[in-house]
Amino acid sequence: MFRKYSVFVITLLFHASLFAQTKVNISGYVKDSSSGEVLIGATVQAKESNLSVKTNSYGFFSLELESTTATLLVSYVGYQSIEEVIDAEKQKRLNFELVPIGREIEEVVISGKKQNKNVTSAQMGAFNFTIEEIKNVPVIFGERDILKTIQMLPGVAKGGEGSSSFFVRGGGGDQNLILLDEATVYNASHLLGFFSTFNSDAIKDVELFKGGIPSQYGGRISSVMDIHMMDGNNKRFSAEGGIGLIASRLKIEGPLQKDKSSFMISGRRTYADLFLKASNDKTVNDSKLYFYDLNAKINYRFNDKNTLYVSGYFGKDDLGYGDLFSFDWGNATATVRWNHIFNEKLFSNTSLIYSDFTYNVNVNNDESDFVIASKIENFNLKQDFSYYSNNKNTLKFGLNVLKQKISPASLNASSNSAVNSINIENRYGLELAGYLSHEWNPTYWFSAIYGLRLTDFMVQGPGTFYKFDEDGAPISNQKFTNSKVVKHHLNLEPRLSASFILDDKQSVKTSYNRIVQNLHQLTNTTSSLPTDQYVLSNINIKPQYADQVAFGYFRNFDNNTYEFSVESYYKFMGNQIDFRNGADLQANEFLDGELLFGKGRAYGLEFYLRKTKGKFNGWVSYTLGKSERQFDQINNGQWFNSRQDRTHDISVVGMYQLSDKWNLGANFVYYTGSAITFPSGKYTVDGRTIFYYTERNGYRMPDYHRLDISANYDPAPKNKRFSSSWSFGLYNVYNRKNAYIIDFRENENNANITEAYKIALFGIIPSVTWNFKF
Amino acid sequence: MRYLHSFLLIICLGLASCEELIDVNLNDVDPRYVIEGDLTDLSADQVITVSQTVAFDAPVRNKPVENAIVTVTDDKGTIYAFTKSGDGIYRANFKPKALRTYNLKVVIEGEVFAASSYMNSYIDVDSLGVIEDVIFTDTVYSVTQKFMDPKDQPNYYKYKISVNGSDFAFSRVFSDKFNDGMFVTHQISDPNNDIFLGDSVVVNRQIIDKQVFDYWNELQSINPGSAAPANPTSNISNGALGYFSVSSSKRYGYRVRFTATGN
Repeated sequence: MFRKYSVFVITLLFHASLFAQTKVNISGYVKDSSSGEVLIGATVQAKESNLSVKTNSYGFFSLELESTTATLLVSYVGYQSIEEVIDAEKQKRLNFELVPIGREIEEVVISGKKQNKNVTSAQMGAFNFTIEEIKNVPVIFGERDILKTIQMLPGVAKGGEGSSSFFVRGGGGDQNLILLDEATVYNASHLLGFFSTFNSDAIKDVELFKGGIPSQYGGRISSVMDIHMMDGNNKRFSAEGGIGLIASRLKIEGPLQKDKSSFMISGRRTYADLFLKASNDKTVNDSKLYFYDLNAKINYRFNDKNTLYVSGYFGKDDLGYGDLFSFDWGNATATVRWNHIFNEKLFSNTSLIYSDFTYNVNVNNDESDFVIASKIENFNLKQDFSYYSNNKNTLKFGLNVLKQKISPASLNASSNSAVNSINIENRYGLELAGYLSHEWNPTYWFSAIYGLRLTDFMVQGPGTFYKFDEDGAPISNQKFTNSKVVKHHLNLEPRLSASFILDDKQSVKTSYNRIVQNLHQLTNTTSSLPTDQYVLSNINIKPQYADQVAFGYFRNFDNNTYEFSVESYYKFMGNQIDFRNGADLQANEFLDGELLFGKGRAYGLEFYLRKTKGKFNGWVSYTLGKSERQFDQINNGQWFNSRQDRTHDISVVGMYQLSDKWNLGANFVYYTGSAITFPSGKYTVDGRTIFYYTERNGYRMPDYHRLDISANYDPAPKNKRFSSSWSFGLYNVYNRKNAYIIDFRENENNANITEAYKIALFGIIPSVTWNFKF
Repeated sequence: MRYLHSFLLIICLGLASCEELIDVNLNDVDPRYVIEGDLTDLSADQVITVSQTVAFDAPVRNKPVENAIVTVTDDKGTIYAFTKSGDGIYRANFKPKALRTYNLKVVIEGEVFAASSYMNSYIDVDSLGVIEDVIFTDTVYSVTQKFMDPKDQPNYYKYKISVNGSDFAFSRVFSDKFNDGMFVTHQISDPNNDIFLGDSVVVNRQIIDKQVFDYWNELQSINPGSAAPANPTSNISNGALGYFSVSSSKRYGYRVRFTATGN
């Protein structure tokens, strides 16, 4: 096996050397002048040759110059551009600090370089947002939330009312790879989905890939959401925070060593539970209902060539009812990264990552006293290289070793409890992956990013593995001892995204990707719960995979003031998972026998129009889509609409700078109700009315729509140090009672009559938040 | 999980949720046969009901089937023929015996539906009780049965309940998956009607087989949050809905006059 990998790597390095040429390369970092934060995706352009590059996720760039002297233009949205004549003979390492545009300049004018990367870049199916760009988008309870904003992009469907889960291009919620400083976040929501785990104070920017996913990413078949945390201000100490209706936030950052190292620590906590304290009832009084988040990061710059980042996240939800019952869950992540610049052309990043997700249920009453605990964790070692061979060729390659461990819910009962302890075996998996990606810009008219990812997922012992018959009954078992490899799942994943530029304003793009997924979340409720089981691929469960092709047309108008795109996609999903009727997913050693395997397909058309500049900006997105699944044992083997299926999905987001103090925002969403199973008849058994179902997901929830507005008041600071602002919001302005649940029941007074009722979750909800900064 | 549910409830209430009746346009589909056979040793009067599904908005609960031929055979070869007594009800006079397998055969217009069920021995109850639960402002009563679960064998329990003389209706099924061989308490309530102080409650306890447990467990697991509610897996062949069970059974009466002990 290792022989294969080494051949892969050698081929890769050999390939890289082919591009070595003799021109001059410069490299460096682009940063914010006020905080020292690196800027991701800033443009560095050589004016003479009209060649340009973007900074990577560490703010690093490498550019090949035609001659030793050149005029460089460095620009980034929201910052004043820098133009500088440089002599590469004398200086090959260049760091630029851009000055943020203050409040006095309302309109962002970027001179020189045309902002048409969305048209010219080879990547399609991707979005990039900084937190700054979306701060005026109205959100529920006034809690700024990156996941809620992502849901308003084309091809991204909302998980449901108030939910932070999302479905990309007809895929499932567990098919999104969510990374926070490279660490996998398993459960990205708080309070059963109403809040995301991402505290916007601590976040710098987010990148979303829906298709043509670059080969450095793997492990989830539908999308990648790559979130970068703030590094911390290395110029001066500052604090900012906010007090809202639901939660309060505080962030402190500052230099550890001026210009060299910094720290950032950011926390958030809800306080709904404080109202419970007001109750006279002791049980209610002792109840808990809160969540908190803690993000922390430090970075240290040893020298021009070496930078170390250490970042972590810890979040927890806690529900409790007196001392009878408590339920807590949360994620923890830790990332250590070392950036090393070998030379102007070769950039290296080494990451050691840990992340976990746990939940605990405590029950303590007269009859029972037990604890249910579950944990999923991984250790990940990544080595990534970027080789900037020349302006036409960039290579990215790397290796990845991922060790995963799942401890399924085990039940620990005290000796006098009326339940037995149950222990389900841990499951282990080791995934080795190697990738190579080539960004190739042979001419102005054509560019491509293509690559390969090779993964070997090893199902590991110790453990007992069962085989099952067609009805899911165990027929044989095999015991494996310590870390023995039970089975290899070897997969090759080709990736491609290419663009053909028609002229400065328009391009057509195409992409293809195959992605494989070895971690599967088992959800048999309409909303995903923290108690959902995770399983690894094994002898019964094959890796899920998706093949996706997409075509797009990109066009900018009015000097890049308007960006327009239309993308179409078709995605086939193999080895999808569903359940037998009445599947028992909890504490079941024969869990695999409860699973059914089938396939999925999703296709659609996405329209996106965004106004990027001016007092008024925002976007409109519309998706026409279809998402279906097929299982031999479900719905008589016929294809049925999946829960992620939305025919129409429209989002409109508008932000308007009314004056230098007032900012207004509004968004409107509309989507076709999700596919759902309703009864088509009824009968009685044992004196109860029972509903008769005929077709899986044969019905639809009512269409969902909602309008939200917000206003931000940001007066000029009285003194230079301290500033504060107010955010006001109205969620669901016209108080639409969108159905959250539709259910059926016997009429209370007449059992002959059956009725349907709906539960709406949120009516109109006002919010106010006070933010401060000093 | 009961507590989790009440938590979700307060979250919903706290966020000003609301519930309202709506019209949902549901398809009319071809009716299916429903067979309910719940034979016990409580008495010698055995009842099997045969009916058909009706549309969701029909003003009746089901449509009785009057032309079925119903027979039950035990593993000794004895045949019990059921006779029609109207309203889709078929009756026979015999008392089933534990540790025997009974086979059902129903013929409707030439279509044959068959099932079999094993009758387990009865598991005696040690003591009875009443529980008062205060969930926020509501006081909810339920009745309990305490007993020793036989060790090292899977046992399945089903309860039907009658409050103040109402017809017996399904309450809950339990398995001993988490408490095999333990001194177990089962808490029984009426899912459709709350029990109040002063009510008289009768509980019908049955020791059922696995297939019957699976049927009812699938039904009681369906809740408004289920991703894909489906018809429960019946032990009757040929696509009939319903179930066939032969069980050992006893009845227990309660009078709810318990007051809180200050838990």
